[in-house]
Amino acid sequence: MLAAVLSIGGIGFIAATALGIAAKKFAVEVDPRELAILEALPGANCGACGLPGCSGYAKGVVDGSIYPTLCTPGGSETIQAIANILGIEAAAVEPKVGIVACQGDNSKAANKYRYLGLQDCNAAQKLADGPKTCPSGCLGLGSCERACPFGAIEMTAENLAVINREKCTGCGKCVSVCPRQVIKIAPAEATVHVLCNSHDKGALVRKYCQIGCIACNICAKTVPDAYVIDKFLASANYEHIENAAAAIEKCPTKCIRDFSTGYPEGSSFLPPTIPAKTKAA
Amino acid sequence: MIELVLILISAVFVNNFVLARFLGICPFLGVSKKVETALGMGMAVIFVMTVASVVTWFIQRYILDYFGIEYLQTIAFILVIASLVQLVEMVLQKTSPVLYQSLGIFLPLITTNCAVLGVAVLNIQKGYGFIEAVVFALGASLGFTLAMVLFAGLRERIDLCPLPNSFRGAAVTLVTAGLLSLAFMGFAGLVKG
Amino acid sequence: MELKTFVGGLHPPDSKSRSAQKPIEQCPLPELLVIPASQHIGAPAEICVAVGDQVKKGQVIATAKGFVSVPIHASTSGEVVAVEPRPHPMGRNLPAVVIKPDGLDQWDDSLQGNNPDELDVDTLKKMICQAGIVGLGGATFPAHVKLSPPEGKTIDTLILNGVECEPYLTADHRLMLEECDQIIDGINILRKVLGISRAVIGIEANKPDAIAKMTAECAPHNIEVQALKVQYPQGAEKQLIDACTGRQVPSGGLPMDCGVVVQNVGTAAAISTAIRLGRPLVERIATVTGSAVAQPKNLRIAIGTPLQHLVDQCGGLTGTPGKIIMGGPMMGQAQLSLGVPAIRGTSGLLILREEEVSAKAAGPCIRCGRCVSVCPIHLQPTTIAAYARLSMFDETETCHALDCIECGCCTYICPATLPLVQSIRFAKGAIMEKKRKS
Repeated sequence: MLAAVLSIGGIGFIAATALGIAAKKFAVEVDPRELAILEALPGANCGACGLPGCSGYAKGVVDGSIYPTLCTPGGSETIQAIANILGIEAAAVEPKVGIVACQGDNSKAANKYRYLGLQDCNAAQKLADGPKTCPSGCLGLGSCERACPFGAIEMTAENLAVINREKCTGCGKCVSVCPRQVIKIAPAEATVHVLCNSHDKGALVRKYCQIGCIACNICAKTVPDAYVIDKFLASANYEHIENAAAAIEKCPTKCIRDFSTGYPEGSSFLPPTIPAKTKAA
Repeated sequence: MIELVLILISAVFVNNFVLARFLGICPFLGVSKKVETALGMGMAVIFVMTVASVVTWFIQRYILDYFGIEYLQTIAFILVIASLVQLVEMVLQKTSPVLYQSLGIFLPLITTNCAVLGVAVLNIQKGYGFIEAVVFALGASLGFTLAMVLFAGLRERIDLCPLPNSFRGAAVTLVTAGLLSLAFMGFAGLVKG
Repeated sequence: MELKTFVGGLHPPDSKSRSAQKPIEQCPLPELLVIPASQHIGAPAEICVAVGDQVKKGQVIATAKGFVSVPIHASTSGEVVAVEPRPHPMGRNLPAVVIKPDGLDQWDDSLQGNNPDELDVDTLKKMICQAGIVGLGGATFPAHVKLSPPEGKTIDTLILNGVECEPYLTADHRLMLEECDQIIDGINILRKVLGISRAVIGIEANKPDAIAKMTAECAPHNIEVQALKVQYPQGAEKQLIDACTGRQVPSGGLPMDCGVVVQNVGTAAAISTAIRLGRPLVERIATVTGSAVAQPKNLRIAIGTPLQHLVDQCGGLTGTPGKIIMGGPMMGQAQLSLGVPAIRGTSGLLILREEEVSAKAAGPCIRCGRCVSVCPIHLQPTTIAAYARLSMFDETETCHALDCIECGCCTYICPATLPLVQSIRFAKGAIMEKKRKS
């Protein structure tokens, strides 16, 4: 018994001493953020991120070589914690969500040619600026859907991207992959948006899209302050959103949508039970 | 001499630690997304297993056997291996940052890996002498590396395939691992004993 | 003669019989000529005329901007009626000069012919550049750039590309039969500029009359004529060099890295015209063909002629057109309408009937490996395309995506109709963008 206690205790003591000395002697300066992130991670060393363990992941996130959303076991809390440590969204006090400013799916907007190529918006955009006649509408090939780290984007059967307002964290990854800048980041509490991105004149828009903004100015007349017309395109003024919904019925092309009552046609998303997000996810 | 070669071949192919003994499945599935990381992991395992089997062989021989406390084998081995690996990691980090970059980040992953402990325990169970123990550890870790690299190569290719949604991720990974294991079963009978 | 060739490639039905025996016809001028400022690889030219200006044929209307650029000339005399973005064969609206011909077709008086024997090399190069000569095979790379190898690179062979491996096209074929003298004169000028004596003309074996004619005519000039196996893409620069000389252009390199300069036979003829007569590149020969064209023809067209006008000259359309392609079917560019103008790189206009156009959506790769066996560069198109689909562009680079010549063999042969070339081109674009950023 004594021998057992002494020998195991002895091994432990020697090991502990050696480690203690080594820790002092071989101390290496590490980025404090790296340690903080390591702390925030689940520490399972599962390798789901494709890197060797949590420390490798923390290192990669800090030096910016990998995107900080790869930790699936940690879920969104971990991602948020990492974002806080890195100060990415420290400035974003109000929660934001992405909006696809287009409703011109295949049934409503015209195409100038038939596209059978690579199912990627950026690839399609390189061929005569994309198959869609509208120069700024959603191409619907799902590049944003694949880029979204939260699975918040779906493509409808008629090829239109729709962002789920509850899953979206406003990270902006989709914005950077969209070749046509259709996706905008807007305050989450604003639910009324003009879903059109075309700065073409009204007559031209009418030619290629049934649901595009024709800059008729009716919305701005109905609810002054709530809408601004700029270069033949109306947009909701997020400073004054209180009565914006009143113009929805008046819009002749129905391109204004209130997300608290429903998502664009063809989407499987249901409007949120709570009218709008109120605090950070 | 021929005995040592047999031990080596047997440990690499016939009784492959991952694919035949099913030890060390965790890093096998976890760190095999890219061939590059798999290879780094394999190298780290080769190093740790060899060093660990050397140290544990001495611990068993001169402490546990000497005092007659073989029943404390597991706890003693874990203790020694874990602290040894930590120590090596710290030394590496300070003295050779280049080596640490390629090897060191994998070390914490295998401090308490069952494959490492398995090698140490099997060495004792099989009654290997010192040289045999080292060769066995080397073979086991080489086999581990081989399995890792093969599997990572397969996974890199699977990533390119348009799989049905339900089949993606863990599902196809496990199926592939099973098939690879089956393939390694083909080595059975290569070495007698 | 033994037929030389390269490894890889394939042999699509050449469909050249529609127009191969039709002599070159002069295409009358259209009502309006639309001459884009961007007609070559490199920086677009800068337009230097304004609305209301009277221009003469051959007058410069857009000046070269930078070394890899050439000026653009008026294709006929007339009045400039618009300078604005117009539909371009690239698929978008790009700056162009619109000229209303006055019907006189008067050459600019200042253009003077010269005897190339009396001019030095630098003057010749300058004249070639000022005449706006670009590679007329379709790639439209400025000719003077190819003729100015950087220090330390020695050129010993000039290869003339008379292969015309694209199915349907017969413009170069007719040119070799009808304007053999000009080609040979152009070759002599090119040899003088490069300071070399060896010149080889590569011609595919499906043009026996052209081979016979060129062999007879070239003999006294010490120009070799090499008959080549009928195999696509025999006329691609690197494959042609391999077939004619057995040399390989290194990965990422240019033909001059292995001592070769390649020019199209049409370019040689244009150079002869530019030096002897002083006339810049304002017209070219193009084949108007395809099942939807009533009378396929080889036409000599003024640069800037709208495609619709070309079709009208060929008896209009028959059947429902399914696809309009500028260039050949393998590497040509599909067009949105017949409203775009023919430019310097327009080697042909191909209009296919709707029933001929296969519009199958891409299926999954069945790993048959056909794309790998036909790739003339020996790449793995399916692997690169799979990486491109997943936006893994670093991996596409390690698979040498940048060496792809976009010949279209893999897409042609793919039983799953995967858009392989498009995917690889997409990857190349992404790699280049990344390189520019870093």
